[in-house]
Amino acid sequence: MNKIELLAPAKDLQKAKIAIMYGADAVYVGGKFFSLRSRASNFSLEDLRELSQFAKQYGAKVYVTVNIVFHDDDYKGISDYLTYLGSIGIDAVIISSLALIPMVRKLAPKMECHISTQLSSLNSAAVKTLQEFGADRIVLAREASMEQINEISSKVSVPLEVFIHGGMCSNYSGRCTLSNRMTLRDANRGGCAHSCRWKYHLFDGDEIISNPNCLMSMSSKDLRASAYIEKMIRANVASLKIEGRMKSEYYIGQVVKTYRKMIDEIYHEGHLTQARLDYYDSELSKAENRPSDDGFLSGSCDNSKHLYGVIGAAVTHDYVAFVHDFDEERNMATIEVKNIFARSDELEVFGPNVDNQRFKADDIYDENWQIVDLCNKPTQILYVRTPFRVHRCDMIRKVNKR
Amino acid sequence: MELLVTLRKRALLERILPLVDGVIIGRFFAASYHLGSNEMRIINNYCKSNKKKVYVQIDNFISEDDMDELLDYMGFVKSLEPDGIYFHDLGLYEIAKEFSLADKLIYDGKSVLCNSLDTRFLLNRGIDSVMLARELTFEEIKDIASNNPGQVDIQIFGHQRMSYSRRKFLKNYFEEINRDYDYLNKESLYLIEEQRDYRMPIVEDDEGTFIYTDYIVEMFKELPKIADVIKRGVIDTLFIDNDNMILQACRDYKRVNKENADFIKESFRHSYPENYSSGYLYQKTNISKDE
Repeated sequence: MNKIELLAPAKDLQKAKIAIMYGADAVYVGGKFFSLRSRASNFSLEDLRELSQFAKQYGAKVYVTVNIVFHDDDYKGISDYLTYLGSIGIDAVIISSLALIPMVRKLAPKMECHISTQLSSLNSAAVKTLQEFGADRIVLAREASMEQINEISSKVSVPLEVFIHGGMCSNYSGRCTLSNRMTLRDANRGGCAHSCRWKYHLFDGDEIISNPNCLMSMSSKDLRASAYIEKMIRANVASLKIEGRMKSEYYIGQVVKTYRKMIDEIYHEGHLTQARLDYYDSELSKAENRPSDDGFLSGSCDNSKHLYGVIGAAVTHDYVAFVHDFDEERNMATIEVKNIFARSDELEVFGPNVDNQRFKADDIYDENWQIVDLCNKPTQILYVRTPFRVHRCDMIRKVNKR
Repeated sequence: MELLVTLRKRALLERILPLVDGVIIGRFFAASYHLGSNEMRIINNYCKSNKKKVYVQIDNFISEDDMDELLDYMGFVKSLEPDGIYFHDLGLYEIAKEFSLADKLIYDGKSVLCNSLDTRFLLNRGIDSVMLARELTFEEIKDIASNNPGQVDIQIFGHQRMSYSRRKFLKNYFEEINRDYDYLNKESLYLIEEQRDYRMPIVEDDEGTFIYTDYIVEMFKELPKIADVIKRGVIDTLFIDNDNMILQACRDYKRVNKENADFIKESFRHSYPENYSSGYLYQKTNISKDE
């Protein structure tokens, strides 16, 4: 049995590399065209080539989203694009247009076709249909429960991909055009305005029946499926997918690393104790900024899984710096400031090979070797002494006192 | 082109049937039909005896838990010998083959079927036709239908579905505000976003929540220009409680042509003043977030 795949999103080349270095088996990214998430600073053709080469060094795979709901005009240039993706060794495209399947077969025969969650595959018959249509992998709808995933998996032979973490559409993916109506931005062509998260008055005829102090919203909490990873492995799910092509490198690094370690521990130990699950959940909380729950995995979504008032959740740790280099002779890290922190703050380093090592930032210097008391200029390069070795691409966060 | 109407209550059958070529009915896995199995059979028999067509709508997503119920229902649907089955969940394709009904299928992808190539891909799999997305411009509809003449259906009248969720938005909201309210299957509820004034109908049933456009789309002027390449035009009656308005829409669509289209459009709007719109027929919605 193949080890389950951990699949991470990336907004740009740097974040894709972070995802792979922090433990993703595969990354999914969008090009400049044909991809949802129009605001993601999507990959140029050259970026995609570089990422493909980088991924191969790590034995990782690269999937490219070609998942807009195409109108006739949108296909312009698609043949050249698919041919190019095949030529640079992209492993798969994630699609919602079924007409792309025969095109990919012809133009890039080594590239797989993964069916996007936009098609909301929720049962084994739908999966079989798509397999018959030529799909190599199906991303299941986020509305499937763990029991249903198990059942579907037992009835089909095509690999299944399941979302485990991140934002969720409150409607079936691809079946919401609220954004089109209210902003003229096509939700299915990368323009979603998240109208589901807005506030609504509810009427029955002419009578207002919503509570003015708590208007109706369709906003859902984010997904966190940490408690189901073991079950998904046992259900023979092929790939565990993290949502978030708009997310920061810190989010990607922390979430990927946490699930990486969790998956490896389950394979190594055969089981995850509650204490270890609690630990991993606390690690995930260091990156979250919205409340989360297990979505439909437990079977249904009651009101506790919606957001009516508070939109954000407190992040337990702030990302404050990215490590660019380390001088072993002086135990001095070259860092790039990301968020405000001060001398003597308690900081925590994590990275591909470092687990939550803490220190007090007593010695911080600028490029003129002047002592810095307050680091409040994002992108500024500073030097900080650490009591242990850190590495390029490690990240530093501030431990918040709560 | 066949003119079809969704028949959501049996009481309208005798009056509406002479005005159309057929009716669309449903019970399970379809939003807001209030028909029992026996009523569906009676409607079916009545239509057949009047040489009218009957289509069944199964336009919800179906979870793995509901597959047995779906199989039972498909057995019942097959016994009706329907002229077609509008379906939304691609699993229906696999199941319809088991019942030798694949050639009766009409794929209604709602918002996801927007182009000629996907249309052709599906038609090549042996289904009867496809229902195009409501988010298309008139030119796009014309192009897709011309590329696949006589194999494309469109909604020509009614509120258009804007969102479909498995979540019970109304149930959850009333629980959140601790209010007992009779909301299930109720078609008089609507939402107004706090910064806007659109009155968007919302209905919740056992399978989820559905939100529709605040406006009614009508295509009296457009239909005659494409009627020769469209297979079926559908009048959707959901949220329209004025029976006379539904009957008049059927009458007018049956007689509309290029010469009388302006007159029919104006007189219909005058007789039944509602919030009408051309929807996306002349309005592209591909503005990106950066614009």
